[in-house]
Amino acid sequence: MIRYLGARLVQAAVIVAIVATISFALIHIAPGDPFSAVMDNPNVSERVRATLRAQYGLDRPLPEQFVRYVGQLARGDLGWSFSHDRPVSEVLATAVPNTLLLMVIALAGSFALGILIALIQVARRGSAVDHALSGISLFFYSMPDFWLGILALLTFTYWLPIFPVGGAVDPVMHEYMGLGGRIVDRLRHLALPALTLIVLASAGVARYQRAALLDVLPADYIRTARLKGLTEREILRRHALRNALLPIISLLGLSFPALLTGAFFIEKIFAWPGMGLAVVNAIGTRDYPLVVGGVIIGSIMVTLGSLLADLLYAWADPRLRAH
Amino acid sequence: MAALKRARLLCLLISVACTGTESPSGKATGGTLVISTGGDPDILIPALLSSVQAGQITDLIYDRLAMIGDSLSIVNDAGFTPQLADRWTWGADSLSIAFHINPRAKWHDGKPVRSSDVRFTFQSTTDSTLGSGTRPLVTNIDSVTTPDSATAVFWFHARSPQQFYDATFQMPIMPEHVWRGIALSAWRGSEPAKHPIGSGQYRFVRWVPLAVVELAADTGNYRGSPKLSRVIWNIAPDFNAAITRFLAGETDFFEQLRPENVAEVAKHPELRTKQYRGLSYAFAQFNLRDPANVARPHPIFGNRELRRALTMATDRTTLVRSVYDSLALPALGPTVRAYPTTDPNLAQIPFDLPRARQILDSLGWRDANGDGIRERNGRPLQFSLAVTGTSRARVRLAVLLQEQLRQAGAKVDVEQLGFPVLIERLRKRAFDATIGQWNTQPSPGSVRGSWGTGGSRSTSGTNYGAYESPVFDANVDSALASFDQSARRAYFTKAYETIIQDAPAIWLAEILPTVGYHSRLQLAPLRSDAYWAHIADWWIPADKRIPRDNAPTATSVAPSESAGKKAP
Repeated sequence: MIRYLGARLVQAAVIVAIVATISFALIHIAPGDPFSAVMDNPNVSERVRATLRAQYGLDRPLPEQFVRYVGQLARGDLGWSFSHDRPVSEVLATAVPNTLLLMVIALAGSFALGILIALIQVARRGSAVDHALSGISLFFYSMPDFWLGILALLTFTYWLPIFPVGGAVDPVMHEYMGLGGRIVDRLRHLALPALTLIVLASAGVARYQRAALLDVLPADYIRTARLKGLTEREILRRHALRNALLPIISLLGLSFPALLTGAFFIEKIFAWPGMGLAVVNAIGTRDYPLVVGGVIIGSIMVTLGSLLADLLYAWADPRLRAH
Repeated sequence: MAALKRARLLCLLISVACTGTESPSGKATGGTLVISTGGDPDILIPALLSSVQAGQITDLIYDRLAMIGDSLSIVNDAGFTPQLADRWTWGADSLSIAFHINPRAKWHDGKPVRSSDVRFTFQSTTDSTLGSGTRPLVTNIDSVTTPDSATAVFWFHARSPQQFYDATFQMPIMPEHVWRGIALSAWRGSEPAKHPIGSGQYRFVRWVPLAVVELAADTGNYRGSPKLSRVIWNIAPDFNAAITRFLAGETDFFEQLRPENVAEVAKHPELRTKQYRGLSYAFAQFNLRDPANVARPHPIFGNRELRRALTMATDRTTLVRSVYDSLALPALGPTVRAYPTTDPNLAQIPFDLPRARQILDSLGWRDANGDGIRERNGRPLQFSLAVTGTSRARVRLAVLLQEQLRQAGAKVDVEQLGFPVLIERLRKRAFDATIGQWNTQPSPGSVRGSWGTGGSRSTSGTNYGAYESPVFDANVDSALASFDQSARRAYFTKAYETIIQDAPAIWLAEILPTVGYHSRLQLAPLRSDAYWAHIADWWIPADKRIPRDNAPTATSVAPSESAGKKAP
């Protein structure tokens, strides 16, 4: 098991290195540079531009810039963010917890909701409820995340003003609230982006889980359970669901990248100050170190998430533990 | 600490009288202005900033020696009002101006403002190590001397109508004691850049990137306390989120409404709109040089008559109405109506599609194969029109222009590009035509860089289309050198008429900025170059305040975790 874990960690490190190299090359090859806005100022002379480029080492050949960047990374330094004028590690240290909070809640919520929907559907398979839930799942499954985000924003902040429009906290009053007030304020701001992600992701989970449950229902052990006189609810919960969860654990690993990408859009729409918002803005401003730093952290999150899913799978399926 | 804050807040919520005070003018002080904005400031150093948000914030934190008037006159000191300088004296030969520093002026950390701060600001701004975009704008200033701690004397190379403007408008004054120990190359990442100390009527409180910037009234300010206790920029990078925050009442002010928002605002009786004359104009610029070889004229746009024909085929009034509704006017040329030097009756190339077709026929551009596209010597009248995809208005302009020019027999390929990509293409002159927009300064002199020969021939120039006209250049130079306002206007009129008739661009729209605001907010006049110029005079009547107006103002500035770390 330890050898397996070690091999997977090495594999993850290689993947992260490749992704970082590709993103470094792509963002540097893209037209423009971090000082595009400054460069567009008619009053900024060529000498000033050259000074700025030299100051940040952007005047050096790309391979040299890459070697210097790798050297920085080896020392645990993700570089300096041009757009935030502070270390990338600081920018991400503020942003990553917000993204993780959103993702963890979305992941837990979407799997809980998705599995619940699937159980209801299978318990009433073939009924109008099953068909209705299938239709609703398909509707949300096929809906673009940014579109649902905008709809949710307009519906629940403007037409039915239940939630605040965006941000992580009330920018004006949060500082003056007590602990309880701050927690409520934070939860109110978290609710809408998290719910949007939950609805989007749970639709896929429900469809997947429903199919997995239907696959195991004809199995011999289910028939045996029925012959033992167990109720349909008990059969579903104690026998069918447990076995049908294995493919869902695989889906958990696959959901990390999709959820992270979805979180990027959702963060922008809801002005949630997470990694997605920081990196999307960094791409627009050609903030090279922040883009690459964000990609590295994002790929670490995805590979670790995938590893976690594999470990969960091994834990859940005794046959795999033997290997 | 939290309990103390709660108690303060409770006190303030219970009694509006706790916070509201009457100013000498009879308008209550207090209240919070929350502005909905689309992005972070790039940097809070006046000499280095480039974003609008940074300009707004630093203009409230830092004072200048004197402030330009609402008329935007830049000839000598007409219309300017005192700020850090309570008076000034012109030298006998007009080659120097001695500014007397207001003895009551203090920095937000309590230290007095001295003439050495003025000298330090000038020296820093003009040092090439800093890389300030202001440097080329103050080249007429030779030096700043300080005969005593209350007097700063500006010495100029030559007499110019803009001397006073150069010395005051271009350089908000920075505190020497804060910045002296920091190398100029390290200013960008320095601690004072994140927690600026100025002398303006608002002082810095906090900046949470991608979330909020907060300023608080400097109640002991030498120019008097501003009427609003706090100004907060609520940052939402997504436009829909930003406008929804305003419509939902989370913010009080939205700085640039789109046409579709105006109707929505009208549905809310508590919201208002206000329009003012801005300094931005949009245009479709032709590249007059061949992108494949800039030594040659462009195979299509090198011909003046053809450019005029394309301009004639453009119904600018309809186009502007379709894109901006009532939030813009057809542009007059490379200028705006807010300038006192602009004649609003400048002669234009009229919209006349039949005449445009005749001109194209006479130039040999004919539709021989009947596909609707004209050709000449086997070359179709076809070109690409590059536009930044991030501006919805400019994309719409491009699409409508494409359709209008199609009716004249020209095929336009609209090319949507990311802003950095577009800038790169323009800088390399690798384009046929582009939809552009210039946001100008109070001085109409920037037209020299964007449309003059100097801006065309310099590798870093912004006359991307390479329009060159000695007549235009000479008239602009004469206008800028003239001290007489009517003579300046006459010269500029000749310059504008020249460029309009040469048609290096189709002058599309002059934007009329339209703000949305909550009716409880009482605005002062909105100045064309900076609606925020008079924010210190905005106020909220005591009986119209809401809880956030009465929140206590933070007094301390939290040190950043990155303190002490330096930019590479």
